[in-house]
Amino acid sequence: MGVLEFKNVNRGFGATPVLKGISFAVTPGEVVGLLGCNGAGKTTLINLVMGMLAVDDGTVRVFGQDPRRDPMAVRRRIGYVAEDQELPPFLRVGEVLALYRGLFAGWHQETADALVERFGLPLGRKVSDLSRGQARQVALLCAVSHRPELLILDEPAGGLDPAARREFLETSIRLLNETGTTILFSSHHMGDVERMASRLIMIHEQEKWIDSALDDIRDGYSLALVPGEAATADQLLALGDCLCARQRGSALHAVFATDPEACHATLARHLGREDHQCRPLPLEEMFIELVGRGS
Amino acid sequence: MLFYVDPHSGVPIFRQLMDQVKSHVASGVLKSGDELPSIRSLSIPLGVNPMTISKAYNLLVHDEVLEHRPGKPLVVADHGAAEIADRRREQLRAALVPAAKLAASMGVAADEAVDLLRELLDQTDGNNGEDS
Repeated sequence: MGVLEFKNVNRGFGATPVLKGISFAVTPGEVVGLLGCNGAGKTTLINLVMGMLAVDDGTVRVFGQDPRRDPMAVRRRIGYVAEDQELPPFLRVGEVLALYRGLFAGWHQETADALVERFGLPLGRKVSDLSRGQARQVALLCAVSHRPELLILDEPAGGLDPAARREFLETSIRLLNETGTTILFSSHHMGDVERMASRLIMIHEQEKWIDSALDDIRDGYSLALVPGEAATADQLLALGDCLCARQRGSALHAVFATDPEACHATLARHLGREDHQCRPLPLEEMFIELVGRGS
Repeated sequence: MLFYVDPHSGVPIFRQLMDQVKSHVASGVLKSGDELPSIRSLSIPLGVNPMTISKAYNLLVHDEVLEHRPGKPLVVADHGAAEIADRRREQLRAALVPAAKLAASMGVAADEAVDLLRELLDQTDGNNGEDS
């Protein structure tokens, strides 16, 4: 059985569509990186999983269940860190942990203790007096200490310095090692996505644009730099595998859903010249090329 | 540590790890029978999904660079001297391909390119082993 299943999901706010026709299924042990610009609908998608929002259309199933029908049954099996996790500011760290321990029957005290020690968390300090990094660490600790089957992280690295981010990443990886947890996380840090994710889903203009194993993306996409006088963006877009094409200075930048060699051959055939360059593109560049705003 | 990853390099992480193991075998840093670190012990310090490391290890077993011994950690397979020489050659070849392409695209004569390589080899002679 799948951990997570979206079938043709639509959700909007008022007249504005946020997600359109989203379908995908996640199997146990997958680590899915969710990418998209700010406002692309990543958080909405996560809120649908958590049962905090209802779909307009389509179905969402988590562990085969409808998260709106029995949210507690679903949430007990999920660990969740929201983008702006609000912890009760008047509680001390130790009290927050006690609260979560009471909420989750499967709370694993050894995991919690180990993380308190690793993060060096001050149990007696009030949440309102924690640094941002420490507050994120408390939130993560609360999300993973009941050993969830599905861990959902919305912008886990948001506002963290590189060292704290790395710590966060390592903690998630430990969890993967120990329990084979399925992870769904959204992030703007492509390096983290590359390290963690086995699969990538990219949402663009409300729709699922790319859904692929990370390694296939590396091998299956390329960036072509074409001299401006050789073609127009529209001509490139008319080629089957061209995902986007843009004028950048005197050259055209185009992303192709083929490896660089095939891309080079396609262009040579259609343009009748050889002075274009095709190369593999790192995730970050791919993201910028695909969603790129401006010229 | 024996391994590192660069998530921004454009090369898949599993392939970076495979290349590093192969290069360590070719250079003699890893010898036949040496144990590889466990997936778990490698994934945490590298900050990499354990599945990625498992994939690299499995492909290396498939390529007969590493081997499984029942109930034991993964070890470097037995490689004859000839095979190691082959692997060295293969690696050097891979490193030289871009140079050869560059020379060809700039119209540099073969003799001139070879002389240049010889000159570089002379310069680095005596401090080899820095790739470990």
